[in-house]
Amino acid sequence: MLALIYFIVLAIIAVGSAVCVLLSRHPLYGALSLVLSMVSLAGIYGLLGSPFLGVVQIMVYAGAIMMLLTFVIMVLNGARDSHTPMFDKVSLFVIPAVLVLAGLVGFALVRSPIAFDAATIRGSVAITSKTLFDVAQTGPGYFVLFEVLGVLLLSAMGAAVLLAKKRLGSVDSEKTEDNH
Amino acid sequence: MISLGLIPLFPLLGCLILGAIAVISSGSKKGPAEGFVGTLAVLFPALSFGGVALLALNMPEGGVRETLCTWIDLPMFRAEIGFLFDGLSRIMLLFVTGIGTLITLYSIGYMHGDRGFARFFAYINLFLFSMIVLVLSDNLLLTFLGWEGVGLCSYLLIGFWNKDLSNCKAANKAFIVNRVGDIGFLLGMLCLVTIGGAAILNYDVLSNFISMVINGNHVELVVPALSVAGILFFIGCTGKSAQIPLLTWLPDAMAGPTPVSALIHAATMVTSGVYLLARLGSMFALLPNVLDIIVIVGMLTAFWAAVAGLFQNDIKKVLAYSTISQLGYMFMASGVCAFDASIFHVFTHAFFKAALFLGAGAVIHALAGEQDMRKMGGLLKKTPVTACVMIFAFLAIVGFPGFAGFWSKDLILERLFMNCSMVIPGFTLFGAEIPTIPLNGVVYAIGLATAVITAVYMGRLIILTFFGSYRGSKESEEHIHEAPAVMLIPMVILAFGAVFAGYLWADSIGIKFFAETLAPVVGAAQAYNAPAVTAHLNPVIFAALGTIAALLGMFIAYKVYANARIPAAKGSSAPEGGKATWTFLFDTLHKYVGIIPVNVLAWICDVVVDKILAAAQWTVGAIATILGDGAASFQVRKVRLQIALSILGLVALVAIVLLTGGSF
Amino acid sequence: MELQAIYVQILALVIFAIGLIVAVSRRNVFFVLMGVELALNAVNLSFVGFAKTLPNDMSIVGQVVPLFSIAVAAAEACVGLAMVILIFRNRESVDADTYSNMKG
Repeated sequence: MLALIYFIVLAIIAVGSAVCVLLSRHPLYGALSLVLSMVSLAGIYGLLGSPFLGVVQIMVYAGAIMMLLTFVIMVLNGARDSHTPMFDKVSLFVIPAVLVLAGLVGFALVRSPIAFDAATIRGSVAITSKTLFDVAQTGPGYFVLFEVLGVLLLSAMGAAVLLAKKRLGSVDSEKTEDNH
Repeated sequence: MISLGLIPLFPLLGCLILGAIAVISSGSKKGPAEGFVGTLAVLFPALSFGGVALLALNMPEGGVRETLCTWIDLPMFRAEIGFLFDGLSRIMLLFVTGIGTLITLYSIGYMHGDRGFARFFAYINLFLFSMIVLVLSDNLLLTFLGWEGVGLCSYLLIGFWNKDLSNCKAANKAFIVNRVGDIGFLLGMLCLVTIGGAAILNYDVLSNFISMVINGNHVELVVPALSVAGILFFIGCTGKSAQIPLLTWLPDAMAGPTPVSALIHAATMVTSGVYLLARLGSMFALLPNVLDIIVIVGMLTAFWAAVAGLFQNDIKKVLAYSTISQLGYMFMASGVCAFDASIFHVFTHAFFKAALFLGAGAVIHALAGEQDMRKMGGLLKKTPVTACVMIFAFLAIVGFPGFAGFWSKDLILERLFMNCSMVIPGFTLFGAEIPTIPLNGVVYAIGLATAVITAVYMGRLIILTFFGSYRGSKESEEHIHEAPAVMLIPMVILAFGAVFAGYLWADSIGIKFFAETLAPVVGAAQAYNAPAVTAHLNPVIFAALGTIAALLGMFIAYKVYANARIPAAKGSSAPEGGKATWTFLFDTLHKYVGIIPVNVLAWICDVVVDKILAAAQWTVGAIATILGDGAASFQVRKVRLQIALSILGLVALVAIVLLTGGSF
Repeated sequence: MELQAIYVQILALVIFAIGLIVAVSRRNVFFVLMGVELALNAVNLSFVGFAKTLPNDMSIVGQVVPLFSIAVAAAEACVGLAMVILIFRNRESVDADTYSNMKG
């Protein structure tokens, strides 16, 4: 009972801030709304028996990723083209399409008999780390995936640096040089 | 005892060595040393002849068989390279290799000074190899190999002087017309294989099969299928042996050097058709309808060619039509199942026809290339040896008593009359009974008439060439000289053969040596088809009739041509007007039946089918373009719109899956 | 009334739909990225919701995979933003519609 109330509150916050993302004019407002949505989702994770995941969500998603996004918005002056209309002909087309899609999927979902299982294990740090790193018990799959993920993050970092840095002698670097 | 495989090996080696010499010396201006090449060239056929003679002397009654190796080894088909040396192939090989050696010797003199000296002898050796393989093989497939090989060599040698386009065209014509016949041979082989399996292509297996059929009284069962095979094989024979309707190549083949005409188109290649019929004699003995067709074709060919020979002005063309006519005789003999008579005529014909051709070659050599008889005359005094040779050969061909042709040709005519069982069946017409009319008399009469005409045109040839006064130009008269010894010796030897070869089977005086050697091979076939009632006619009657025919012809020739005024030769030596129509009858037939339809078909394919195919291609391309443009129209400028459309597609997909309950 | 599994899925569906709408119908490129992040979050939620419906040994999957999904989303956001910077340098605009080179 209590769980349901918690869930409903958190759900309303999540959906509400998502709608705010949709309707906000300035990207920064949108980013902040998104952070709120993510935090509430983290709460729902905790409610559903994965506290570790909830904390990771806040640390990584709401913390690192949204910080990055906010940073880039501010650097590039994201509100530059805020005079463009928010919803145009494409939106007229897309919103009904997505709604129909959601309706169909929801229809299929509702008819399926899923129910919570009482014996679900609670995703604490200990259990999660045992699943990931205890190769003898759960097999090497998760461990390898974990390591690969590390490499992926490394390569993404390298790619980002390579993509975004100014070339020596390029026009932009000349411009900033002249400004000194 | 030497191996059978050596006999074809010698000319093959000769061909390779001479070919190598020809290729090596192709860069130099003068060509290889003629003495050396000539010696090599004669050596190999001579070795082959020696081998054959050795084998011939010690041949056992049933013949020698030898299998060299397996040629094709598939589960469904097996063929071997094997050789069969029995009475028939012994005779054929003796004169093929013997006359081949003589003509090669002759060619050393005839081709003297020709730049392609070595190449010529390489081709001659290749030809001898193919001919030996054809005759010596023990199965139809290997015979076919030789068959094709001689056709190829015929092409190579007719078009030997290949700078001249008309020679090349003649070579093409020979090869192509032969090829049309070869289709018959191939289909005949296939027909036999469907009847009796792949092994039936072996001659021994075939004769066993036939005797099994006869003993088991299954003859009526196989006759229809065998008739088809027989007709097909006969078509192959008409192609190779220049019978109606595939005879147009032989006169044109005279474009080649004269030794080639002597060897290939008189003595050996054109007789392969007759050889094939004799080999398959046991099969043909069962097929009366096919035999009747063979007789009719042979008869018509002999008569037609004899008349055409009268109209020719070129000395070699006369001899070409004469060859066709004599081949017609051989086919007539085969058609009444007198295979030994036909092979005997092949044998004697080889001698006198080769002698005639070589003599004509000597005449042409003496006159420095002149071939038109209207420009010859009076050569008797100037080239006596050549004249003697040709006169002896002439007496042989017309069947003068005592010479070779007398024995063989009269034997054929006698057998025609005695064995021919063609009849016009009786029927009732308006209530009146019309009896069956036996046709053997008609056939005999036409054969005899052809003999008369043979005597007439050969007499004309001899009179125009050797008697009277010289009708050529004065300068050429100075240069007339007798042929060198290397050319005369083979001619003289052949003249001897023309005189004495016939005595191997002098039926009337009781020498039956030839028939006895052939009896093991063709005896069964002839016995099967022997007439039920033998009319007891004295063979002397036939001999007498033959002699009368020959003398009559010679007399007519003398009367008409001896003191006639020959109109001055203008232009080409080809016949004109009505004579041209008769001569080129089959060329015209081929044109309308074969060439024009093929040209029309080609035009149709080129213009109509081509356009249809281009339209089909265009249609396919247009469909692809339309589909592509249609698909490209879905590309929009805005990425977001694209994504929106994708979402729509996804919606459709989900809806379909839901509607079909997931069984999609 | 208890918290039922289906409620979690419905919530995930709604958030996913909103994220999709944001991603496709907003012209500002940052909003596109934000919409994608929303959708990814919704998927993670769905995973965790399903994990709770499974018994002991299988349920841990639903809690580990979202971990990886978060990591991948991080990497993707990083590279995506680097590309935004790169494009911005050329075109001086954050309007997604002007980023198109396609004809037609």
